[in-house]
Parts: sequence; C-alpha cells; structure tokens
Amino acid sequence: MANVSLKHIYKVYPNGTKAVNDFNMEIEDKEFIVFVGPSGCGKSTTLRMIAGLEDISAGELKVGDTVVNDVEPKDRDIAMVFQNYALYPHMNVYENIAFGLRLRKLSKDEIHNKVVEAADILGITEYLGKKPKEMSGGQRQRVALGRAIVREPKVMLLDEPLSNLDAKLRTQMRAEIAKLHKKLGTTFIYVTHDQVEAMTMGTRIVVMKDGFVQQIDTPKNLYSYPANKFVAGFIGTPQMSFFEGTLKKHDESVTIKFDFSDSEITVPYSMLYKAKPAILDGKTKVYIGFRAEDVSIAEGEQEKGAVVNVVVSHREELGSETLIYGDLCGGSESAVNSKIIIKDSGGYDIKSGDIIKVALDIDKIHLFDKETEQSVLPRIPEYNYLDCQVKNGKLKFHGIECEMPSAIKCADVDGELLLPVNAIVFGGKLKADVKTCEQFNGINLLMLSLNGKRLFAVSSEKIEESTVNVGIDFKKITVVADSKTVIEPIPETNSFDCSFVKRKSVRSIEENGKTQNKKAVEFGFMAEGVFFGASDESAQKIFSALGVKNAFASQYRMECSIYDIEVSDSGIPAEVNSILDYGECKFLKCTVGKNTVYVKSDKEYGGKIFLSPNMDKIGISEKERDIKLI
Amino acid sequence: MTNKKFRSKKGKERASLIIIYAILILISLIWLIPFFILIIQSFSGGSGMASNTFFPKSWTFENYVKLFKETKFLTWYGNTMLVSVLVTAVQTVIVLMTSYALSRLRFKMRKPLMNVMLILGMFPGFLSMTAVYFVLKEIHLTQNLFGLILVYSASSAMQYYICKGFFDTLPKSLDEAARIDGASRHTVFVKIILPLAKPIVIYTILTAFIAPWGEYMFSSFIMLGDPDKYTVAVGMKSWIDNPTLASEYFTVFCAAAVVVSIPITALFIWLQRYYVEGVTGGSVKG
Repeated sequence: MANVSLKHIYKVYPNGTKAVNDFNMEIEDKEFIVFVGPSGCGKSTTLRMIAGLEDISAGELKVGDTVVNDVEPKDRDIAMVFQNYALYPHMNVYENIAFGLRLRKLSKDEIHNKVVEAADILGITEYLGKKPKEMSGGQRQRVALGRAIVREPKVMLLDEPLSNLDAKLRTQMRAEIAKLHKKLGTTFIYVTHDQVEAMTMGTRIVVMKDGFVQQIDTPKNLYSYPANKFVAGFIGTPQMSFFEGTLKKHDESVTIKFDFSDSEITVPYSMLYKAKPAILDGKTKVYIGFRAEDVSIAEGEQEKGAVVNVVVSHREELGSETLIYGDLCGGSESAVNSKIIIKDSGGYDIKSGDIIKVALDIDKIHLFDKETEQSVLPRIPEYNYLDCQVKNGKLKFHGIECEMPSAIKCADVDGELLLPVNAIVFGGKLKADVKTCEQFNGINLLMLSLNGKRLFAVSSEKIEESTVNVGIDFKKITVVADSKTVIEPIPETNSFDCSFVKRKSVRSIEENGKTQNKKAVEFGFMAEGVFFGASDESAQKIFSALGVKNAFASQYRMECSIYDIEVSDSGIPAEVNSILDYGECKFLKCTVGKNTVYVKSDKEYGGKIFLSPNMDKIGISEKERDIKLI
Repeated sequence: MTNKKFRSKKGKERASLIIIYAILILISLIWLIPFFILIIQSFSGGSGMASNTFFPKSWTFENYVKLFKETKFLTWYGNTMLVSVLVTAVQTVIVLMTSYALSRLRFKMRKPLMNVMLILGMFPGFLSMTAVYFVLKEIHLTQNLFGLILVYSASSAMQYYICKGFFDTLPKSLDEAARIDGASRHTVFVKIILPLAKPIVIYTILTAFIAPWGEYMFSSFIMLGDPDKYTVAVGMKSWIDNPTLASEYFTVFCAAAVVVSIPITALFIWLQRYYVEGVTGGSVKG
C-alpha cells in the first residue's frame, strides 16, 4: 500500500550496454501498472531493480517515502511472483507460504491464520499438504501468489506470471489476478510481453522498447492515441495497417497519396488541423496508419468519401467477424507498406482476387513521421503555426497587431510564427472565443478563435467561459523567414561543463575554550574553475552510480533553469552582452567561455559579473554515456 | 516373391543383450578377482605370498588376531579415522560454500579465479611436497596429525567444479524468491539450497573422505620417523618394504586391507540412496 516513484532510473552493464534508459514514472497507490514490450526491452530489468535483485546504475527509486536504492530486497516490503513460480521444492504448500512469515519471526498461531486465509482467498486450502511437484501449473502459480500476498506487501511485483500456462488457464488466471488486485488494494506492477494481458489488466501501461519508455498511458489512450509507430503496431490485434505516403494541403482540403499504389483521397483540412504543418507539403514521407475496425467495406453514401480500392488476398473467419486481408490497388504484391486489414461483420461474398471499395475513417487516422516514427498528429499540438508579419517592432498575425517587447530586435519581415501552445498566457489584452476544451491527463487543450482564426492553448484548469483574455509570452516565440530564424526563444536551461572534485578544507572549531583545526573533506562540482559544494545526498548519488574511481574521472554537464541562477559576489565569471527586457521581467545575456548563458535579473548589470546557480535545483548528467544523475 | 528371411526384433535384442552382459561380466571379474584374492588370503593359514593354489590349504582367523594384538594397526586406524573425519568436515563445508559463491555471486576476477583454481588443480599435489614439508617444519607441525589435516584440507576449494555445476542447475529464481521472502544469503544457502543439493553434498562427503583415507605420499613424508603417528597406508607399507618382513606379514597385510575397506564400503552403502535420488522435481515448471 504505497506509491512507487522512479526518477531517472538507468541500468548500465559493465560493458556499457544500457538496458534501461532514463525511466521516469510516478506509480500511485493501488494502481495496476503493466510493463509491456518485446523481449529484451528492459521491462523485467526494471522490475528486478524495483525488487532489489538488480543494482540500480543511476537514479532514485522510492517506495512510499523512502529511497530504497541501497535497501536489501527483504527490507523493501515487496513481494514478487516469478515466471517459473520458484516454489521451494522440498517444502509443502503450507511451508512454502509460511516461509516468509517464519523468517519474520511471527508467532505460530499468527502464521497459521494468515496461511489459511491466503489459501482460502486463492482456493488452495485442500492442497496445503502437497509438494509442488504433485501440482499442476495453475495450482503452483496460485501457491506462488499465496506466498506473495500472505506477507501483505506494499507492492506486488509479477514477472510474466502467466507465460508458462496454457491459453485457457491464462485467461482464467488473468481474471483472478485482476480480482485479487481489487480485493487486496495493493499496488501491482506486472510485466508481460503479451499486449492482450496488458490491455485487459492494467490501469496504466508502460510500453517499452530497447530500454526506452515509449509511452505511459491508460489502455484506451494507448490504443487511440499511440505516441509513435512502435506503440501503434504493438498494441491492438489485428495489427494496425501502415502505408507510406504523403499529404498535401490545398486551402481547406488535404490530399492523401499512398505510395506503392495509385490510391489517393481528399479530405477536408478540418479533420487534420492538429497535424504538424511541415508534413502537409506533399513531399515529406509519413506512415499512415489505420486500425482494422476503422476501415470498412464502402456502402452507398460512403463511396463518395475517403475510399480506396483494395485487392483481396485472403480472409480469416473468426466467427463473429471476418478479417479481410488485401493490398491497395496498383501496389506490387510484395510491398509490405500497402497491406491492409479490414474487420468486417461478415456476410459479404468476398473471394480472394476481388477488388473492393474500402472506406477509411479519417477521424481515426494515425500519422507518423517516416524518419523519427513519432506521431505527427499529436493529441496536444506543440506549436501553433501561423503566418506573420514583423513591422516597426510590431508582430502581426491573424489580422491583429501586438507590440513586441524591446528585447526582440528584428528587421521588418514576412515569415512564419511558431507560437508554442504554452506561450499563450491568460489575462492579456487579446480577446478570444473558446471553441472547445478537451482534457487529456490533467491538461486542458483549448481551441480558441482569435479574430475568427484557430489558435491552440493549454491550461491546467478547466475553462468554462466562452471568451477569455489572452496574451503572448514573447520569450517562447520563434519566427522563421526565408528558412532563417529571425526571432529565437530564450532557452529554458543553461548548461555548463563541470567535473566532480574532492576538496580538503580545514575548519576551526572551538571546543572547551580551545580552538581546534579539523580537517574535513568536501565534495563538489568544478565549473569554469569555480568550486560549488555538493550536498551529501548528491555526492552519494554520483558515487553509487559511477563508483569512487570513475566519479572523479568523468565529465559532467550541469544544467540549471534560467530562473535558478543569479548574480552574486563570487561564482562563475561571466561577461554581460546585452540586457533583454521582456516587459514584466528582464534577462541578462552573458557569455561564459564559449557558451551563452541567460540569467533572470531585476537589476541591470554591465561588464563582468559572477553567477552562482542554486545548487538545490541543478541537474547533473554524466557526459560520455548521457546518464542523468541528479 | 523372394523368400526373404526376417530376423525377429526380439531375437536381435536378445543377441545384443547376451553380448553386452558377457562383456560386463568379464569386466567385473577383472575388477573383483584381486579383491577376492585379498579376502581369501586374509584367512589363509600359510605365510608368505608364494602360494601355488588359488584357495589356501588351511583356513584360519589368526591373521586378524595378530593384526589387532601384535601390531600398531589399531593406532594407525584411529589416526587415519581422525584425520579423515576432520578433513571431510572441513572440506565439505569449504567446497559447498566456495561452489555456492562461485555459482551465485558475481564479483570481479570471478572467472580468472575459477580458471586459476582449475589449472592449479591439474598439477599433482606432491610437486609441492618439499616446500610443504619445510613450511610445516617452521610451524612445528611435522609428525603431527593436525599438520596432515591442514595439508589435506588446504586445497579443498579447488574441488568446487562439480559442485558448482550442480548449483548452476538450481534455478536462480529460488534464491531470489527466498531473498524477497526475507532470507539472508546464509539462510538461502542453508534452508533452500542445501536441502535441494543432497546428492551433491553426499558426493562431496564421499570424495572428501576417500582421499585422505588412502593417501600415502604426503603422510609418509610428514610422519616420517614416528610409527605412532602413521596412517594405515604408511604403516602397512612399512610391513612390505622389507622382503623378509613382507613374507611374514603378507597375510596380515591382506587382513588389514579388508578392515580398511570396511568404512568406505559402509559409507557408500548408507549414502547411496541419497546419491541417486533427485530432489529438484516440481520447484519450477517441469
């Protein structure tokens, strides 16, 4: 009964292989979390790190409120169920379940009551006297579950517990584990490679691949809004059909052209307004994805809409429905990227070799960049892309004019404005109508209408009014003209190169009237030749991640937010280049070595100054392997 | 149709069985005959080893009486028993613990250490005999049974190989499950691994006992000059070193050999049922 927090967790093997990369997650109490991914993706390693069976290379793991990185597995108050059950073969079921309790020195009666209760919950009371080898796989797995629940752990870890069971038993046990979770109200973390198990059991699912977390979300969101092509293809049966293609925007419509075929469809732009404008140029290759249930055999009216011709290759009867496999017309037989799967309720007399018309549900389209495989049709767009004009220190877009702060100096140009959704602040001078307000994972996405034009904004609170006053945070905007960036946003973080050092210092301590000199060793970071003391906790993190010898030999990158660094009497020497005045706040643009550093400051400084970051809020990464340590 | 002759499968099997048993019986005869001669000679009434007949002309129990009454055999037997039992205890503990550590723990230099131990084990122990003798002399442990125990059990850890191989077959998840259940490494070893490793524990005990029981080379060197500290092997050898003594003591020697073989035979018969019994069934899916 506790939450689990994983912060920047890494698993790096001595040979340099990274099994788990920067795993971040907050698991709430009573959640049922499923780690899913193909084999070798790091899901089991992550679970074993939570269990304490593997060392954590870097990062912070908390169970409840305690950091447990260096806590023995037995003291973490967790229980684990293994894929191969790992029952003690020389003990009978009763002894197996009681083993953990006996080690905890509980009284005999107490042990007996707990064992009988656990056996009762799992329906294994009649097997208590049997040895594991006399039992079937399903019964053994129940005993393993019993051994875990009897200790009433804070967190239950299950490592592919059903993989060794046959299909029918697996479905049955799946339901039983879900029921057990409800009954116990314990946090469950479940590892599986079976996406059906993940979808049916998890309150949230973590999809992993090659040691990286791909997406963390609820089953429904993963299915409807996959963040990249891998997640889209991994979740859901039958697999999503992918096509390569291009999109081209003409005024208020978009033409979708499929490669490896002669298919082409035109849809209204309003259906794709969240898509990144860069992909709508008719040249950028994208993957277009449709789920089998979002494509159907066109009938009547539908035939006029988004319809493609498909050559049927074969069909699979599943009883209640039929899966029809085909290729887009005009495509070569072997082209993988023109295969399409259609889910249909059957009843159609379709043979292989037939050419059929298939309607695509454009509302359910998925688009992924061909290079990065990331979704280019995000649920929350990052930027508003607008045409704009800069003239006399004024920014014109959507037919309105804004005074730019004096910090932005720019010649008069016509260009494109990249306005991040979070650069729209509430309480400004502009009046906008609220069209829609959608909520995703605690973030509200607003579609505003400014002067009749569409504009996205985000807010942490739900907005119910029909009109709001908005303003623009000019620190975050980008303007591109003739493929040159003319206005740049201020970076959010500054970074310095630094090393980790040990410093001996002598402190005078007065004791009993005598002054004594005590030697002390201090650890800290050396950046630009200046020493910054590190807290014991930070030093410990670095030592535990790299070992004492490597800790001093490695190179680090220190990062701090532009708000967490200030001008002081001593510190990193810097030269002020200019003062950027954004109205409500001012920033100093300074040079440190070869780097440019921004500092928020109320006063105006000139010439040489000293900067000191707030050591409580810095981030430290190891440079060579790019491991975030603090 | 040609009248092709088919040999029945049964006949073929029987023929091959006959051949196999014939070979096995022959081999076991070669093995057993020396032992039979030993037993028969130990009851022989005549003296000396020159005998024309397979069975002795007269039977007697005199050799055994002489063995226990007139020789120091009983002292030697006690010495050997003490050394063997203590060596067995020390060696079994060390071998099991080393094997478990090498099988389960991952530490720096683990592989090189295992290789070095394996290669060192390939050299016969007596190569270091002179050096060992001088070391023992320095610490005043020559002509001392504890010196012998020290020498025998010193290289115990090198016997890890077979035992580690067995531990490797026990699933690691058993250790992990027990550690999560609250057991320390020591508890895991004692409560989970040892009960499952019975056959290999027995094997370790047997080999650990047999080696010092019959060892001659080191004990003859270390105990040189003190007949009261001899082990059976050294003592019995002293009877047949001298040709005149040899003919007098030959039948007694045979009687002693029979007595020496008793503990090992008994030990093996007692422990063999564990030896065969597999106990890992049912721990994991199987």
